[in-house]
Amino acid sequence: MSLPSIVFALVALPAIVGAILSLFTQATLRNAIVVIGGLLVAAMAVATVATFGGADGAFFGLPGNMALGQTLIVVDFGLTAFVVAISLKHRRVLAPILALAQFAIALYLEVAGRLPEPDPQRLFWVDRLSMVMILVIGLIGPLICINAIGYMRAYHRSSPMIQGRRTVFFSLLFVFLAAMFGLVVSNYLPLMLVFWEITTICSFLLIGYTRTDETIGYAFRALNMNLLGGLGFGVAIVLLSSQTGGLDLAILTHGPAAGALLPAIALLAFAGITKSAQMPFSSWLIGAMYAPSPTSALLHSSTMVKAGVFLLLRLSPAMSGSTVGYLVAFVGLLTFLFVSLVAVTEQNTKKVLAYSTIGSLGLIVGCAGIGTPELAWVGVMIIIFHALAKSLLFLVIGTIEQRLYTKNMENLDALLSLMPRVSALFLIGISGMFIAPFGIAIAKWTAIRAFLSVPGPAGAAMILIMAFGSSLTIFYWGKLLIKILSARRQTDYERSIENRVSRYEWLTEGALALGVIAATACVGLISNQVVGPYALTAFAAAPRVFLAIDPAILLVMLSATLLLPFVAVLSWLNPTYDHSDFYASGRSANVGHVMGAALGGIKRVTLRNYYLDGVVSGGLMFRTGTVACGAVLAAMVAASVVIR
Amino acid sequence: MTPAIYALLFVLLAPVFGGLLAGIDRIVSARMQGRVGPPLLQPFYDVGKLLQKRTRQINPIAEPLLIAHLGYMAATGALLLGGTDLIFTVFVYALAALLLVLAAGSANSPFSFAGAERELVVLLASEPFFILMMVAVCKVTAASTFGGVLASSQLVAVQLPGVLLAFVVVATIKLRKSPFDISISHHPHQELVSGLTSDMSGRLLAYVELAHWYESALLCAFMVLLFNWSVPLGLLAFAVAYALEVLVDNATSRIKWQLVLRSTWAATLLLCGGNLLALFVMGR
Repeated sequence: MSLPSIVFALVALPAIVGAILSLFTQATLRNAIVVIGGLLVAAMAVATVATFGGADGAFFGLPGNMALGQTLIVVDFGLTAFVVAISLKHRRVLAPILALAQFAIALYLEVAGRLPEPDPQRLFWVDRLSMVMILVIGLIGPLICINAIGYMRAYHRSSPMIQGRRTVFFSLLFVFLAAMFGLVVSNYLPLMLVFWEITTICSFLLIGYTRTDETIGYAFRALNMNLLGGLGFGVAIVLLSSQTGGLDLAILTHGPAAGALLPAIALLAFAGITKSAQMPFSSWLIGAMYAPSPTSALLHSSTMVKAGVFLLLRLSPAMSGSTVGYLVAFVGLLTFLFVSLVAVTEQNTKKVLAYSTIGSLGLIVGCAGIGTPELAWVGVMIIIFHALAKSLLFLVIGTIEQRLYTKNMENLDALLSLMPRVSALFLIGISGMFIAPFGIAIAKWTAIRAFLSVPGPAGAAMILIMAFGSSLTIFYWGKLLIKILSARRQTDYERSIENRVSRYEWLTEGALALGVIAATACVGLISNQVVGPYALTAFAAAPRVFLAIDPAILLVMLSATLLLPFVAVLSWLNPTYDHSDFYASGRSANVGHVMGAALGGIKRVTLRNYYLDGVVSGGLMFRTGTVACGAVLAAMVAASVVIR
Repeated sequence: MTPAIYALLFVLLAPVFGGLLAGIDRIVSARMQGRVGPPLLQPFYDVGKLLQKRTRQINPIAEPLLIAHLGYMAATGALLLGGTDLIFTVFVYALAALLLVLAAGSANSPFSFAGAERELVVLLASEPFFILMMVAVCKVTAASTFGGVLASSQLVAVQLPGVLLAFVVVATIKLRKSPFDISISHHPHQELVSGLTSDMSGRLLAYVELAHWYESALLCAFMVLLFNWSVPLGLLAFAVAYALEVLVDNATSRIKWQLVLRSTWAATLLLCGGNLLALFVMGR
């Protein structure tokens, strides 16, 4: 198959699977379709990348040189009508206003004939970044869908009052993947906007899955914020429609933007910032934590927020060296700092993971804003490692939550003795997120090196943010690790908990864990063959080596990645190890975690992590970050207008 | 000599250096308190004895974690002297420090857990400084390795007075001296018993002690980075700073973790951050 046809097939396949899924309500049949459909999507993603090979990039149009014509406006109308209808049903005002405003823009452009006819051969653009995204979406997404079979079964068993709508749920997961594929291969901006809005609506529906007042509130928050971003995208299209080639993403971003293009770039960056849940728009992703865990896994790893940073990385060469770019970078870096401060005060494990996602995305935004080949390299490396590790972590925490009935970090006490195999997967995910060498730690290292050459106070500020932000991540991951690794003798009941994990979960989480290890082992290959060439092409830069792996670093760091999983396996091989009593000031303590009290009797020992009470206030940090980033964001948009 | 030989020498000689330093420390502290103190080689006798004692295991995963703690602490120094990027070295150092926290936390007991949590707090308190210090050293010398900094014609300490002062404050944490020794104590009558190491015995405790010796040598190497004109000058500066630490240790009592965090961050932000800002603004 030729490249264009295989790309179309890739976008269409999950959409078709989604459509088929919406027709079947019978569980066994649905599960089979999810598994087969998921595997087909993964195979198609691999086939697409294989067909693309090592090219720099390719442009193409619709089959048979078909024109887009009025198709986009019809789809836009459908999406707007849907938002208006569902908002009326739930009596919400803001969402329909935002959706109608955006539709009005589209209609105006269409009716006034201001939308220049696009080059039919340049509607789509695939390059190495698209291929990275296709692999991230196409390999991780289906695993999450398959995992959801086991998770949702346990979820509905433990929450019987929630009305099951799994037909819609699974259908939406696949439609989401289709929209993401469409988004990462689009070159014509109005086309990309349509896919952008489909992802917004899919995430809205997934967040509101349980239809309780609480989740409906969070779903509308996500919808409002992302529609606002979409509106920014729409206004950017209006501004660009009068420029020659302005709506062609590849032409728009082939070098530093100036003059009239800057405000449009700023608005597109604004859209990217809303979608990647940067402050002041972080609250929608935190609210999304109340949705079933596979939804979180999907939103955090391979879809939605990754669309935001994908767009920002695309814009990176255009923002390079401009004030707009620096301000975008500061939105990301300040977000990283403030959410890390919030994360150290948070007990809900899913929320800690969410803040960590927002922080990692903040680093990517920071890299994209400054716009150098090195930092674009860092951004893409973080996308890859974060997607693998975070999807694994969310799926594992979902598995734990459905078996231990808790999301609280404090209740994960002695997880290693309770669920040793699940813990091993958990530890691989955490290693991939922050201990692992070639993932985020190498990226942070390279980022600090690159910020060293940013001149003036901006450079110093960026380095200060990195130093404090990185240290905070050690603190919250460290706390979580202490809880997981601590030991306690288990009862027979506790020993049986792990047997209730479904095979769908074992297989998918195991596959993702292998993926983390494989990506770590192949980091040189990923850097030299894919991410490095992408950064050089995007910035038309002279060849250079981004990651020189010294054998000493390789040895130290590979051992670091394998250390915690090794420790987990060790504990798993010794499940009935008879733990000695710990020291308790000479009083008898025993492994059931009770100790003799001073005046006789026994007391239960409870150990609670530090949350820096009295030193760091999570709420205050969240509000401060929101205000600070909001101000920087406003300055960014204002600067784009003033500087022209 | 090639950097690899320096790395090997660090692995072999750092424990000797650290052990002797601990011996001198104990004698000097004893004299300050009007005692005679133990023989110079007492720390070596202690570790030798620990290695022979029976080891009680609270949680079997503590041993591999502590061996890794020791290994990465030695590796940090070896990487530093072996010519690895300075900023990367700091990440390995943080990993080594974290492993001690995890080993202590794995015991899941009141004193160990409290020690582990406090150690995590002091790790949070000290980590930003080490990243900023290495960045500042790289910025001043335009080098990225130990050898490069030593070869630089700029005397680092002159341009980094704020970093030097902050180093003296933060090193108090790493050398486990009062008022910042909140996570561990050599004095068993204190509120935390011995914190981090409460549930470690025998060879487990020996690993911790050895790792601490490596850490002392590592901090000394960091000081040499600041006085990069000559190694003896750096050693002298470290001796002066260490004497100061011992004096402060004997003159103060430990403070609460909140104050440790606040004071260290304030010192890092004002002294180190201010110094870095000045460097960036002056465009060096």
